[in-house]
Amino acid sequence: MFERVNVKLNVNGQAHELLVEPRKLLSDALREDCRLTGTHVGCEHGVCGACTVLVDGRPARACLIYAVQMEGHAITTIEAIAAQGRLSALQEALHEEHGLQCGFCTPGIVMTFEAFLRKRPDPSEGEIRQTLSGNLCRCTGYHNIVAAIRKAAARMRGEENHAGA
Amino acid sequence: MPGPEFTSIGKALPRKEDYRLLIGAGRFVDDIEIPGALVATFVRSPHAHARIVSVDVEAARGCPGIVAVVTGRELGEWTTKLRMAPPIEGLRPVEMSTLPTDKVRFQGDPVVCVIATDRYLAEDAAEQVVVEYEPLPAVTDMWQALQAEAPRVDEALSSNLVSHQTFSHGDPAARRREAYKVVEATFSQARQTHLPIETRGCVAVWDPGRQHLTLTIGTQAPHPLRTQLAARLRLTESQVSVVSPDVGGGFGQKIIFYREELTVAALARALGRPVRWREDRMENLIAASHAREDFCRTRAAVTKEGRLLGLELELVEDFGAYCFYPANYLARVVAMILTGPYKVQDYAFDVKVVLSNKCGNGPMRAPMAITSWVIEGTIEAIARTLGLDPAEVRRVNMLRKEELPYTMATGEVLEDITPRETFEAALSAVDYAGFRERQKRARHEARYLGLGICVVVESTTYGSRFYKAAGIPGSGHEAAWVRVEPSGAVNASVGLGPTGQGYETSLSQAVAEGLGVDPKDVRVHLGHTDIAPYGMGSRGARGGTAGGSTLYLAALDARAKMVAIAAHLLEVAESDIELKDGRFSVAGTDRSKSFAEVARTAYLDPLALPQGMSPGLDFSKTYDPPAMTYSNATHVCMVDVATDTGAISIERYVVAEDCGTVLSPVVVEGQQHGAIAMGLSGALFEQVFYDENGQNLSATLADYLVPTAAELPNFEVIAMHTPNGRTPAGVKGMAEGGVMGAIGAVLNAVNDALAPFGVVADRQPLSPQYIRALLRGKVAKEAS
Repeated sequence: MFERVNVKLNVNGQAHELLVEPRKLLSDALREDCRLTGTHVGCEHGVCGACTVLVDGRPARACLIYAVQMEGHAITTIEAIAAQGRLSALQEALHEEHGLQCGFCTPGIVMTFEAFLRKRPDPSEGEIRQTLSGNLCRCTGYHNIVAAIRKAAARMRGEENHAGA
Repeated sequence: MPGPEFTSIGKALPRKEDYRLLIGAGRFVDDIEIPGALVATFVRSPHAHARIVSVDVEAARGCPGIVAVVTGRELGEWTTKLRMAPPIEGLRPVEMSTLPTDKVRFQGDPVVCVIATDRYLAEDAAEQVVVEYEPLPAVTDMWQALQAEAPRVDEALSSNLVSHQTFSHGDPAARRREAYKVVEATFSQARQTHLPIETRGCVAVWDPGRQHLTLTIGTQAPHPLRTQLAARLRLTESQVSVVSPDVGGGFGQKIIFYREELTVAALARALGRPVRWREDRMENLIAASHAREDFCRTRAAVTKEGRLLGLELELVEDFGAYCFYPANYLARVVAMILTGPYKVQDYAFDVKVVLSNKCGNGPMRAPMAITSWVIEGTIEAIARTLGLDPAEVRRVNMLRKEELPYTMATGEVLEDITPRETFEAALSAVDYAGFRERQKRARHEARYLGLGICVVVESTTYGSRFYKAAGIPGSGHEAAWVRVEPSGAVNASVGLGPTGQGYETSLSQAVAEGLGVDPKDVRVHLGHTDIAPYGMGSRGARGGTAGGSTLYLAALDARAKMVAIAAHLLEVAESDIELKDGRFSVAGTDRSKSFAEVARTAYLDPLALPQGMSPGLDFSKTYDPPAMTYSNATHVCMVDVATDTGAISIERYVVAEDCGTVLSPVVVEGQQHGAIAMGLSGALFEQVFYDENGQNLSATLADYLVPTAAELPNFEVIAMHTPNGRTPAGVKGMAEGGVMGAIGAVLNAVNDALAPFGVVADRQPLSPQYIRALLRGKVAKEAS
């Protein structure tokens, strides 16, 4: 057992004060201490991508970071994406294109592409698939996820009317 | 779809499940907070096969945060053993304790359970447990397992051959003697594992006042799990609730009740405190459940034109160390449906299942996954041997519409299937003749393209009569209820265990259809044994056929009663009532009652009901589907094989699939994609590696490979819908055939590409190393 330490986290714009062991993973701290369970844990060794969050706006694996390392950084989790409960363009496209089944990997995919589409508003299918290769999905075969990301990108570029519900 | 007769069934509606999952508000087991819950972790065997000499838990008990450290000895007092002894000829009865006390049988076998206030502390203490082992020689290969002098995995058995069945119909030996040629082919699949992205896990809460146990666990079969849990803890089924919340994928791994889960439940009761467990990915890869690892050899007696006269199958499966299922459970189905879309009556099989020192096997999406590759690979071998076009050999043998229903040699009856129609549709979609031209030109430039066909006949929904006939214990029926509440709101439930398929959406369409309401007004409640009726859960492809049909029938009952009430209130005959847009109207008039008015009357004004009618709108139904329903499909995969690196790229993937009436085309298409992906994944990448000592070398996701988005193609689906004539709405079931078809299509495609080299890939996965090994020293024959 290690001495617990105080950690100040900025998650989704809110300040959280945690008392955790220095070895506590960010993924566990978010889920257990901040009670934000939308960030899922699939492998704990940085391969599956389910735990992807944004650290200062960039995608990162929450299972490969200790909570104590995150002082002074802004963390964004899936819970912040649908502002006031309204789905983002990406979330809505995933819904329309049936881009999720069990939904366990979905928060990680949303976080990866919320960041990616801001950087690359007009990606090719190859670029989408290359970026998506950091998130494992066992249900969908990826076809509909790729279609949803393309649709979301087009909408975010204003090329297709936002026909959302 | 939708057919003219349906309004809700077959509509492409987006899923009801999505919103909560998209915003991070899904409720998977680990997302459910249980105040004061302790955390379990397991100490597992580092050896494949070893005697347990001693277990010292004292140091672990003294670690910070530790509440309990228990071994198989304590658990043996709190729980009963699992006995697997169905009366099946050739199947040996086996027994399993909750945790082993005498010897371990595979690397990862759980030996000690540590309970702490926190997972980090539990894992610290687990490292302090000292188990002394006496290593034994291990069985790590199915052929070794069959040798007389092989170490015995289960010492209660006289050999490692845990199941052996044979069958013969007609006279295959005579057909061989008459044949123009006897063509032999072999096939083997690597050991695989299901890999749901959410690993196994559960939380058990014992209520000492009510003497009641609640187990929250992601499961495909909540009620059968409850039956086992209650029996093994010596509780009644009224003392146990099983709750399955959102589940992060199952694929067959989450059907059976595992030893770790029983341990957690027993400890929650013994300690009187909630206990939770979440396995890590390494545990999931080495110790949850494995699948496949089978070898098949076929011998086909054929005429000069490639017509099948007789067929023989030899199958051996490595089942691993423990039988969580009857050992014949998976292999038997392969043998029963092998002949698929082809006419052949002289058929024999010999099916052996062996134990080894590896993780136990279970059904993984398409337990009969190898079937279509075996028959379609046999067809390809016939075409190669006789110098015929493989498409033509298929046409020569394939069942025609007018030959249905067709009783296969094994007694299985095929009806309402369309193999020729899907076959021609898929071939014409890819321009088969055009491809052959392109392939020829490419070969001149030393580029090796291949096209693989796989015609699939998928056994989808197993009725009770199938189980009985196959000698497998179990029922194929399903149970459902539909309740129209006094406000007119519609609740419904069925005994399936969803793991991400989208049942809340597709099943609401079945209820809406029966009841004549909008699917958005129907809420389907699943996964809670106190809410859902006792059903058989989700396995095979029974969700739509068994679950959807039962709900549809219950909803029809509800509608009939509501029509009777409306007719009585409106003083007309029932036949004059039309239900449209939420109103019961008298045909040709403006007189009507709303859906809610009728519902309110049923509950709150019973005296206004027709004489003798009981109040309320609560409908329960059970339904046992036909012995077996079949869907069918033809898959075509086009590949480009880089012969210098062994890399395979998929250029195009087309499937024409006929799965009858579909409840939700959205959900069905998602299942088609997912199943094809899982088939391609197994064929190209997946392999659980054990070394010769039985050490698992693929215990991380860097070593156990599954495809990412960069490795899989887009899928082109040609949807066909021939209803099943025996199920209430014509539903056939689907979701596993894609695995079967993808395996056969990609293997056949790669072998087509490699044909100029005179080599045949007969095992999975088609890794670059394997392709290179096949090609080493080989030169392509001059392209003709």
